[in-house]
Amino acid sequence: MSSSQYVILRKDNFDGFISRLSKLQKLVAPVSKGHNNFSFEEVTSGEEVAVRYIPTILPPKKYLMPQRETLLEFNVSKGLESTPVVEHEKTTIFGVHTCDIAGIQCLNMVFSTRPRDFNYLTRKGATTIIGLECNDYCDEYASCALVNANLPNGGYDLFFTDMGEYFIVHVNTQAGEDIIEAAKFFEEAGDDQLKALASLREKKREIFKNEVPIDPRKIPELFDKSFDSKVWEELGERCIACGNCTNVCPTCYCFDVKDEMNLELKGGRRYRVWDSCQVEPFATVAGNHNFRKERAERQKHRYFRKFRYHVDKYHRLFCTGCGAGGAAEPAWLG
Amino acid sequence: MKKPKVAFFDFTCCEGCQLQVANLGEELLDLLGVIDVVEFREVMSEKWEGDFDVAIVEGSITDAHGAERIKKIRERCKVLIAYGSCATIGGVNGMKNGFDLGEIGKYVYGSSYHFFPTEETRPVHDVVKVDYFVNGCPIYLPEFKEVLKAALQGIPYHVPDYAVCVECRLNENVCMYEKGVSCLGPVTRGGCNSWCVNNGNICYGCRGMVSNPNQKGMKDVLTRYNVPLDQIMNKMGMYNRCREKK
Ligand code: SF4
Ligand code: SF4
Ligand code: SF4
Repeated sequence: MSSSQYVILRKDNFDGFISRLSKLQKLVAPVSKGHNNFSFEEVTSGEEVAVRYIPTILPPKKYLMPQRETLLEFNVSKGLESTPVVEHEKTTIFGVHTCDIAGIQCLNMVFSTRPRDFNYLTRKGATTIIGLECNDYCDEYASCALVNANLPNGGYDLFFTDMGEYFIVHVNTQAGEDIIEAAKFFEEAGDDQLKALASLREKKREIFKNEVPIDPRKIPELFDKSFDSKVWEELGERCIACGNCTNVCPTCYCFDVKDEMNLELKGGRRYRVWDSCQVEPFATVAGNHNFRKERAERQKHRYFRKFRYHVDKYHRLFCTGCGAGGAAEPAWLG
Repeated sequence: MKKPKVAFFDFTCCEGCQLQVANLGEELLDLLGVIDVVEFREVMSEKWEGDFDVAIVEGSITDAHGAERIKKIRERCKVLIAYGSCATIGGVNGMKNGFDLGEIGKYVYGSSYHFFPTEETRPVHDVVKVDYFVNGCPIYLPEFKEVLKAALQGIPYHVPDYAVCVECRLNENVCMYEKGVSCLGPVTRGGCNSWCVNNGNICYGCRGMVSNPNQKGMKDVLTRYNVPLDQIMNKMGMYNRCREKK
């Protein structure tokens, strides 16, 4: 730990910092919605921010790949004229947990693979990410230690750790440094504070232990052996195909593309909207063939997509251990 | 290109769906730029005797007279759109099917019930071929416009066959079950953009069930949240009674 990369924000300056930050560019942060539910929303003051929160109704990936997004505007009144659209706005996301940062790292890989997704990458370039450490498990669904996502591992501009009286902040990029400069509330971290951070991380190693009795390196092999397992039938029997598990997943990225004409039928827009491999029509193709008609097959696909297929393609698990999928299912497949 | 002739008709219903269309406001004028409305009781007194391109039909078929009338309408049009829960799934009128028809006739009309012969409630497609469906009670206007545009372009419209929960989650609502209230979203077809939940209500199941609802899974949900099965069946019965006879 080099001290020059670490600064301190005293808690009584938190409100001032958040309101200053919100004046620099659009600022979003976790906000309480009651009933122990949270969502990322635009904020302008510190008191709106839920510094302690459990995974939000939708993960912050929604700022990089919005639920609904226009891709193209077209006019067909004389020939075909079309204009590509890239919706983006400079945005700071404050308070992103390490699981969601890991999810964004997965999405970065996918959307940078050719053919590159220009819309995603443009928005990524316009987004500043400020992480926030979980000092303890956020709920009983999390399995972040299994996939090593409970400690910071890059993918952010600034990273906040709550030390009680103050936050200690890791400055990771130039964009992060610019914020520190502009916000003015920060002091350089002293040796004691760096030591306190190191001992907090030590303590975390005691709290966060692999939650599942398996060596994570053996997971792909285990999946190879369980392709024909009965467990998929059991999951399929309980799944209500509501799509919540994929919508809340920090690494899921499937979408459907649709055209919407205006009323005069002379032009319109092409847009995309999140899709889910768990819903009935997802794998229905021309001729009305559905090649994953059974819920059991769809559940199997979901798990293989996280723990097997992408290991070959991107050399990492596409699970961040956030537990949101389990928590969000009315049916609770766990 | 000549504007297609469009006629609106209603059968057993509350006329709430045509009111929705009449309430389109300025967009109604845009709509009138591309179609020629020849009959629409809610907004005009003219009647049309000739043929037309598109029939937009509201309401369920609940007596012999209605069955005859819808068959004639079908003969006169090229494309038939059923709109509203009454027309597409039977809707609230389906509640009648849970009773003996004679009994329920007496209950409603007293001793003169013979003068009001009635039949089991049927959605329109149980009587004639329907080309497009706009589910919902009342219809969700953005979807109505999509279907109308699809019909005018001659392309298919697929009523979404996934749960209301899908759209509800995209709209970031706190789930009703988390608030201790039961909701029919998990078994009801989406397409309404979770209209009711966005406005603080539960889903009443007005769009009908998804084609392949998971009954066992839904029971697990109810157990997890301590909701008695009767309570859900009662709520389900409000719109989905017609489904039971099949
Ligand atoms: S679907 Fe609902 S609003 Fe429409 S006519 Fe029937 S009862 Fe009325
Ligand atoms: S509120 Fe209803 S529709 Fe929305 S997610 Fe919950 S069960 Fe589904
Ligand atoms: S939320 Fe449910 S009751 Fe409300 S419009 Fe949609 S399907 Fe109908």
